Amino acid sequence: MSHVATGSSSSSVSTRSASHADDGLARALAAIVGERRVLERPGELRAYESDGLPGYQKRPSLAVFPGTRDEVIAVVRLFAERGIRYVPRGAGTGLSGGALADDVVLLGLHRLREIIAIDSENRRAVVEPGVVNFSLSRAAAAYGLYYAPDPSSQTACTIGGNVAENAGGPHCLKYGVTLNHVLSVTALLPSGEVVTLGNSRGEMEGYDLLGTFVGSEGCFGVALDVTVRLEPVPQAVQTLLADFPTVLGAAEAVSAIIASGIVPAALELMDAPTIQAVEASIYAAGYPTDAAAILLIELDGPEAGLDEDAARVSRFCTEAGARAVRLATDPADRMRLWQGRKKAFGAMGRLASHLAVQDAVVPRTRLPDILATIERIGREHGVRVCNVFHAGDGNLHPNVAYDGTNADEAARVHAAMGEIMKACIAAGGTITGEHGIGLDKLPYMDRLFTPETLSAMCALRTVFDPEQRSNPGKVVPVHSCREWHGAPATRARPA
Amino acid sequence: MTTIAPPLDATSVAAAIREAHDARTSLRIAGGGTWLDAGRPVRADATLQLSALRGIVQYEPGDFSLTARAGTTLAEITDVAGRAGQWLTLRPHGSLDGTIGATIATASWGPLASDFGTPRDHLLGCEVVTGTGEIVRAGGRVVKNVAGFDLSRLMTGAWGTLGVITEVTVRLRARPELDRTLAVALEGPDERACDDATRWLRSTPYRPLAAELCSTTTSDRLGLEPRTLLLVRLGGNEPLVRAAERAVAELGTTAVVDSAVWDRLSASEPAGAPVVRLGALPTELGALWAHVSRTLASCGGASHATVTRGVVRCILPAAPTSGAIEELRGIMKELHAPGSRIVERMPEPLWTDVPSAVGDPLSSDVHRTFDPNGVLNPGILGHTA
Repeated sequence: MSHVATGSSSSSVSTRSASHADDGLARALAAIVGERRVLERPGELRAYESDGLPGYQKRPSLAVFPGTRDEVIAVVRLFAERGIRYVPRGAGTGLSGGALADDVVLLGLHRLREIIAIDSENRRAVVEPGVVNFSLSRAAAAYGLYYAPDPSSQTACTIGGNVAENAGGPHCLKYGVTLNHVLSVTALLPSGEVVTLGNSRGEMEGYDLLGTFVGSEGCFGVALDVTVRLEPVPQAVQTLLADFPTVLGAAEAVSAIIASGIVPAALELMDAPTIQAVEASIYAAGYPTDAAAILLIELDGPEAGLDEDAARVSRFCTEAGARAVRLATDPADRMRLWQGRKKAFGAMGRLASHLAVQDAVVPRTRLPDILATIERIGREHGVRVCNVFHAGDGNLHPNVAYDGTNADEAARVHAAMGEIMKACIAAGGTITGEHGIGLDKLPYMDRLFTPETLSAMCALRTVFDPEQRSNPGKVVPVHSCREWHGAPATRARPA
Repeated sequence: MTTIAPPLDATSVAAAIREAHDARTSLRIAGGGTWLDAGRPVRADATLQLSALRGIVQYEPGDFSLTARAGTTLAEITDVAGRAGQWLTLRPHGSLDGTIGATIATASWGPLASDFGTPRDHLLGCEVVTGTGEIVRAGGRVVKNVAGFDLSRLMTGAWGTLGVITEVTVRLRARPELDRTLAVALEGPDERACDDATRWLRSTPYRPLAAELCSTTTSDRLGLEPRTLLLVRLGGNEPLVRAAERAVAELGTTAVVDSAVWDRLSASEPAGAPVVRLGALPTELGALWAHVSRTLASCGGASHATVTRGVVRCILPAAPTSGAIEELRGIMKELHAPGSRIVERMPEPLWTDVPSAVGDPLSSDVHRTFDPNGVLNPGILGHTA
């Protein structure tokens, strides 16, 4: 996976290539953010050609990295005046190609990384969009609090990016996704207008514009600051590792645990190819390499009653055929077990030059069926699928490491992924649970939604961005949008 | 006002809306009809009655999600889910004859929101018919879903003004092994009582399913000792609930009360009573609670607060005859808050004092986009720009 450079390379306007259509733009941007923060040379822009999915590469026409709120506003207003299209980007860890800028301007927001306030008594924090997810939890730890949504990239990804993608993570099973933790956002619309969405001090009446902004993948504008809810660090945590001789057995254990009403903080499944990839990497966590599947189960909350829940969970696993269930002995052991899970994508990345990362959701009772179907599809196309996923939510990640330079292999991977998506839709599921549509999932949108629904999405986007300049070409396939009967947005842009 | 024949599916709802759209007439959207006196006054040419659009479409207990037509009553969902040991953790105030469609449309919630959140946290997907008669299917049936722009959230709390909800899929939860409610007697003046409750909830490792602060009058209406009480609902396995009960006892003298108290709370307001909800930060709640108590004492009103959400619900005596309306206007004006103020119900003449909830440019554009001719529940959220 590629992570972004910090944008510290120096350059000057005078030496920039003349390839950019509007040389005056770079100069005007440099006047706002400083010359060092505008990149225009192909060599400098290379680092921004892909996000967490190396399968896609698109080069921005130039990249600009404002460092303050006022600079962001000035940059976006300049874009508005000149009708410039742009793609907002946080840390570039996204897994749907959502932050790729195809010959349009890339607007990097990772320099806005101030934690503006932590209000421990009211359990909330106000942060700039470039604050790294995990650094918020680290700062909140002093108050016995943390920020619950924990994408696997949490040591790199930003809160602004999390808001754009409505990011999830293993612990969303119990605590909910980003949407459930954002109280309000100060948003900068593509017009340059600054609006407050949501209410961090009480209730909201009227349209839930905050709810639609979260997960809008940068198409509705960018966040200038985000007010999030913080959770108290649980009194006690127990992490269990269950080892299964069959994937089916692990899936059945998941169903039994969920049906019992126990809500684990996290309930993750990893299959044999994933376990082997992790154990062969520097992230080796001591997983049993001969297991067909393992479950990583975390229970948290008050100490009282937790042992009883852990005993029940353990029993469900044994009844579903687990060979062994072990409890993490101490925090270091727990960290190691989690490290293997959180770095699983990275470990798979070592297997071959490319990694196809998939993200789909099925109703939880369909997990055993869908895993069998995925196995069959992989076999038929001669590709090795590694499953590592949020089993408690039914949120699958069937990934394939492959050699992208081998056209035949790439085609087989592509075909298998398409069939897996179709199978998930047929099972009553969806095509993305937490990674977003971006570019990667665009082809599946009209399989999932009717033309009327896609048109409604287009129309909503037009309210926030009448000219569709922010993250153009993402999320909704324009070709499938029919004419919308509603009135076009008439709101005047501010001067 | 005429009532349009009960539509049996989204297609007939769409036909009715398209006809109104083309004829430039307007429709009042009605579900169970239990709460039609809520919201701003609506002037419409006809009522679109949705109560016939009912029934559970799909329910697989192992998936913890349920799909129902909009007119399905909360009572029916409670019953069906209950048989599988599950529940819909939304229990808005009012009657269980209210419908799931209206609950989502009005974003109504009750004390369980303390732990489980509000309708926006429960809705997985919905089918709606927009003001132009387009049938839109937003979201899905699974618990995690970020495919496309979130139209479900947009419809939640839109009071039908962007589209008529015809079907919803909601998340259910397992009923806790043990479900116990304690009433804690809080000592001292109002502000201190509320602050004590807030502080305890902040510091305890236990997470009650609900924690509702009740004024003296509210407690009395619930058949409890007429004093300031905190009703704490605890759920979980036996050792957890027992330990939590011991922790609650640190706050004050406790008494176990029957869980039916929650249904009584939902039904505690007199018919037609003006109701306003006030919001503040948890740290501001004590002062707000004391202010509300003082204001309501003068007129015999009641209040209860969902402490962790920082929301006080103020229930005034049943609406006065026209002669006393100015007096009521004065009391309503006194009921203000630092964070938010949402009026649920009050006599029509007083609504002129309440600003529109959708008067900002973005909301106005959203409205124009989904209901350009203003067919659906015109004015119920106020006027657009």
